[in-house]
Amino acid sequence: MSVASAAAGITRELAAVVGQENVLEDPSLLQKFSVDEVAPTVAVAPGSAEEVAAVLRLANERDCAVVTGGGGTRQSIGGIPERADILIATSRLNAIEHFDPADLTICIGAGAIVSHVQEEVARHNLFLPIDVCRADSATIGGSLATGGNGPLQQGYGAIREFCIGVKFVTGDGKIAKGGGRVVKNVAGYDLMKLMIGSLGSLGVIVSANFKLFPRPRRTRTFVAHFATLEEAARFRNQIVDSPLAPMCFELVSPEAEEYLPREAIQSVTDGDFRLNAPPPPARTLWRVFLRAAGSDAVLDRYHRELGKNIINEIEGEGETRLWRAMSNFSETVLSLNRYAMFVRVSVPPQFIPMALAAAENAAMENNFMCAAVGRLGIGSLVLAFVPLLEEPPAVMQYGNATSALRSGLPRDGWAVVTRCPSDAKRHFSVWGTTPSDLQTMHILKQTLDPRGILNRGRFLV
Amino acid sequence: MRFPEVLKRLRAIVGSDAVLDRAEDVMLYEFDAGVDRGTPRAVIFPRSTEQVSQIMRVATEASVPVVPRGAGTGLSGGSVARNGAIVMAFARMNRILEIDLDNHRAVVQPGVVNLELTQAVAGRGFYFAPDPSSQKACTIGGNVAENSGGPHTLAYGVTVNHVTGVEVVLPDGRIAQFGGKTTDACGYDLAGFFIGSEGTLGIATKITVKLTRLPEAVATLLAIFDTVDDAARTVAAITAEGITPAALEMLDGWTLRAVEAATHAGYPLDSGAVLLIELEGLREAVEEQAEAARAVCNAQNAREVRKAKDEKERALLWKGRKEAFAAIGRLSHSYYTQDGVVPRTKIPDTLRYVEEVGKKHGLHIGNVFHAGDGNLHPIILFDNRDADQTQRTLAAGKDILEYCISVGGSITGEHGVGMEKSDFMPLLFTPDDLEVMARLRNALNSASILNPEKILPSTRSCLEISGAPIPQGKPAQSYRGEWL
Repeated sequence: MSVASAAAGITRELAAVVGQENVLEDPSLLQKFSVDEVAPTVAVAPGSAEEVAAVLRLANERDCAVVTGGGGTRQSIGGIPERADILIATSRLNAIEHFDPADLTICIGAGAIVSHVQEEVARHNLFLPIDVCRADSATIGGSLATGGNGPLQQGYGAIREFCIGVKFVTGDGKIAKGGGRVVKNVAGYDLMKLMIGSLGSLGVIVSANFKLFPRPRRTRTFVAHFATLEEAARFRNQIVDSPLAPMCFELVSPEAEEYLPREAIQSVTDGDFRLNAPPPPARTLWRVFLRAAGSDAVLDRYHRELGKNIINEIEGEGETRLWRAMSNFSETVLSLNRYAMFVRVSVPPQFIPMALAAAENAAMENNFMCAAVGRLGIGSLVLAFVPLLEEPPAVMQYGNATSALRSGLPRDGWAVVTRCPSDAKRHFSVWGTTPSDLQTMHILKQTLDPRGILNRGRFLV
Repeated sequence: MRFPEVLKRLRAIVGSDAVLDRAEDVMLYEFDAGVDRGTPRAVIFPRSTEQVSQIMRVATEASVPVVPRGAGTGLSGGSVARNGAIVMAFARMNRILEIDLDNHRAVVQPGVVNLELTQAVAGRGFYFAPDPSSQKACTIGGNVAENSGGPHTLAYGVTVNHVTGVEVVLPDGRIAQFGGKTTDACGYDLAGFFIGSEGTLGIATKITVKLTRLPEAVATLLAIFDTVDDAARTVAAITAEGITPAALEMLDGWTLRAVEAATHAGYPLDSGAVLLIELEGLREAVEEQAEAARAVCNAQNAREVRKAKDEKERALLWKGRKEAFAAIGRLSHSYYTQDGVVPRTKIPDTLRYVEEVGKKHGLHIGNVFHAGDGNLHPIILFDNRDADQTQRTLAAGKDILEYCISVGGSITGEHGVGMEKSDFMPLLFTPDDLEVMARLRNALNSASILNPEKILPSTRSCLEISGAPIPQGKPAQSYRGEWL
């Protein structure tokens, strides 16, 4: 039996589970769900955990490979799917199932859009600090599955630090949950940690519970620039060794500036700005954006401590635009160059200059320009490798650049390619090596997805 | 393999001075600070990861279960031996291996005492944030196993938020690295999954922790209330006001009188309840937040709000809190502490319920707990020489936990499930939830060689959800309870 007919044969059964109106089998419409140009044979949108479980049990029986999709903003992560017989869309699992503003907790369906949830909690002066790329399309489930993060990780930690419960369906169709609705809880294994960043390879996330935070009443972003990366790194050390506790603390490489709003980069004065220094020559400077929350007294303290390094101070709409652009950095690069490659790098923070030097060399040797943004306090970087020439790079250049980057990273550091052309993926490992034990990962995968139907080929192949 | 042969092989690995098997020696390892007991067949003290690995190979081959143990300050029986197990104690693996202040990291062996790590880096302006009340004695390996919290975890998070990497010896003796020095995990977050697994998945032999900068300013308030209700309502009001204290602790009137008699911390003897509120951070922010917290307390009928004038006053207020359990130990032959969690808005109702439970079972129940995150510690006073009192105490504990679950809470906020609460797990989790957890445990620890019969209920109660039995452990002497 051919692969296509394996899935096609169960379309009727899938319809019996989720309802005919929630099954999509028109190939032309399914194209938009493609992962690395592999289109699913059928897409289903289950409306409950039980329906997800029924779909997965069916997929197991028929040995159908399953891909899960949320907003589709991060489907570029991972290897090329071996097959995509069934795509499970989480779009109908989008309810806010439980919201206790006074307790600062919320339970959200996996398919809920991040920005919608943020608007809802903001009505109660609360805040969910998930600032992933394209928050207006990305889903809660996708953000968890991809371990998505953004500049707010500096002040609030990654999603793992404030996700307090998760409900998911294992690869073989069992509905399971971990954690709960309270902010402190050690009952049972921490299944939240297991699911976050597992790229849908262990189960399909159905809903998750989060701890919320008070919405900062006032924030201000301080902009500093430096002639060299070394100076920026010294500034970094000065801040992390001070009592200051910024919400965001982001480095922007000279090459990355053109992907951010011009008004934030240049020292122009408008209602949102204060000008402290003459504008520097463009395209050679490393910039640091430090966002702080607090009263006038607190923000004045930042102003004093940061002193002469600061060229801009941004508040209000301009500040909101800046940080949205910072989160959307890779999206902006991609919209300008579809052949760009994106790499997520994590190193102990003292090694940021070393990692960026390695990236710079790797890019130059392979005809790319490297544009970087990253969390200075944490050592988490987003690198864009933008082709220097107009024609598309040869497929080997992507792998070569990645290898060169990896060979220049410190021990404990790692680099995962989060997007590159599908053709290039066939020639190297987008995952590379991990400091963590692969054998244990394989054991866990085998335990929760014994037939290996989830995201086959994309992760832990 | 017969047990004497096992002992011989273990002695060959660690030396004969590092294995205890005489009854009078192993007796010292039959309990932790909770209610359960179990006598190990032997106690072994490895010095290195390699020795731990070799011990696990022998144990697996001989089918002798192993229970890892730090300082034995746990409260849920996590380090108590069951099933003829031997105890692996980490007193000799107590070195700080690396302090990397540039990256805010330290690498330690599991036997390093929590407070000793803080002391090693405090001079340079850092500390290890998780602060269980037992921090003078408890080990970081134990903190990792139990995912320990403490008063200041309200703002800073529990152990899992402060550990980025763990070297683990798996039950079959294989040495594996989970995570590393980077904040983000690459691939599955194995370290995150491992922390809090209570020694049922592997043994941590090397731990990479985050070091946190000491705050520039600290303000400690003591808010005094005439009624428990007013104090309890204040907790939710502070949260709703957008104030995030570093710690927000509550002591009810009975408890604070007991504490005052023992520690002379300066607690008012005639009040209904006090809140101990601590704010930390930038000087300017702390001043503002302290004033905001004071205003909330006043609006909620606080009789008085005192602010510690100096470090000495602050230390005294905390001494009262941290030694509360020792103080109670002076008043009662034994006591049983629960660790339920409720949503913060449910604290007033829950405390009223706890009082009713005390009346129903004819027992006195004190309350001293981490109010800011809804983590209750009802302390049930009783005499463990009296079988009837003991039964009533355990029944009262069960009532309280069932209530916590009914309002959307949990059975344990920081003490762990261990053997004490494993039979309560079906109240919180479905059979499928538990089956998935059991599968994960079995995948790494298939023969239950490591810490058997912990966390997950026995199969029988797993199936019969409604009829979950209450724990049958013998309550311990009270004096050990100070390590909370």
